[in-house]
Amino acid sequence: MQWFVILKKEILENWRNFKWVWVPIVFIIFAVMDPLTTYYLPKIMDAVGGVPEGSIIDIPMPGAVEAMMMSFGELSLLGVLITVVIAMGVISGEMKSGVYELIMSKPVKYSNYITAKFASVVLLILLSLILALITGWYYVLILFGDIAFTALLTSIAFYGCYFLLIIGIVLMVNTWVQSPGVVAFLSIIFIIALNALTSIYGHIFTWSPALLSDYIQVYLASGELVSEIWYSALVALLFTYLCLQFAILTLKNRAV
Amino acid sequence: MIDQQLLLMLLPLIILQSILLIVAIIDLIRIQQTNGPKWVWALIIILINIIGPILYFIIGRRP
Repeated sequence: MQWFVILKKEILENWRNFKWVWVPIVFIIFAVMDPLTTYYLPKIMDAVGGVPEGSIIDIPMPGAVEAMMMSFGELSLLGVLITVVIAMGVISGEMKSGVYELIMSKPVKYSNYITAKFASVVLLILLSLILALITGWYYVLILFGDIAFTALLTSIAFYGCYFLLIIGIVLMVNTWVQSPGVVAFLSIIFIIALNALTSIYGHIFTWSPALLSDYIQVYLASGELVSEIWYSALVALLFTYLCLQFAILTLKNRAV
Repeated sequence: MIDQQLLLMLLPLIILQSILLIVAIIDLIRIQQTNGPKWVWALIIILINIIGPILYFIIGRRP
């Protein structure tokens, strides 16, 4: 099938780019770094010295949930950044180099093209995310305390929706401009706007996808899935779908 | 004091980081042309911890 051919080609390309090697590793390092340094900060300060004699530094040890949220937080920041950088050239790069015209000279459906590209990025990012959060969870388990593995898996499922939305946004912007750098810039502006609007009007937009990690924290702490988390995830998926449809539309209009 | 436990905790990270570094170096040797002089990228990959190889993969490889 056409769709699988494009997907396979993308996966192969990601393999040749070593993206399948470095993206999971980088995500894992991001997820592990924060809980680890927080736990060992007192010891590191002891070893490095420079602390005046007799001064008592009392750094409160965070609980398991807080430590786990550090992993999530780090990925929300740096993970999103890496995601944008990876997805920025998927279509715009091909348009720039002329590969896009080459592909489109064959009877390739626009919807197949976009969704296969989307699937290839999603596959890479979600697998990295799962690996990273499970590693982070493992460290939290050893250093801070217990979090149920099923709770973690549920959190990852909801958290993945947020990343789907981000990949959707970047792919949509990909069809507008041909320069990968501009794509990254515009996408980041979109994502920052989403987060800023949510933090200002968060009490009104309780379904905003940017609040997903907040709801995940509530879930991990209380073990209860609030109804808003479902709405947020649904809205994230809906927006992703709209972004992809819009991207397909843009490509159709371009060709004419 | 930095004890054995800390070293054991850091070991997986150190291994991952070395994989990152080795993959970047192998790719740098095999690739025909980079975005900028090759020896600069070699220095960046080796000298800057973790971020060096990431920068190389994102910027250094010619698209």
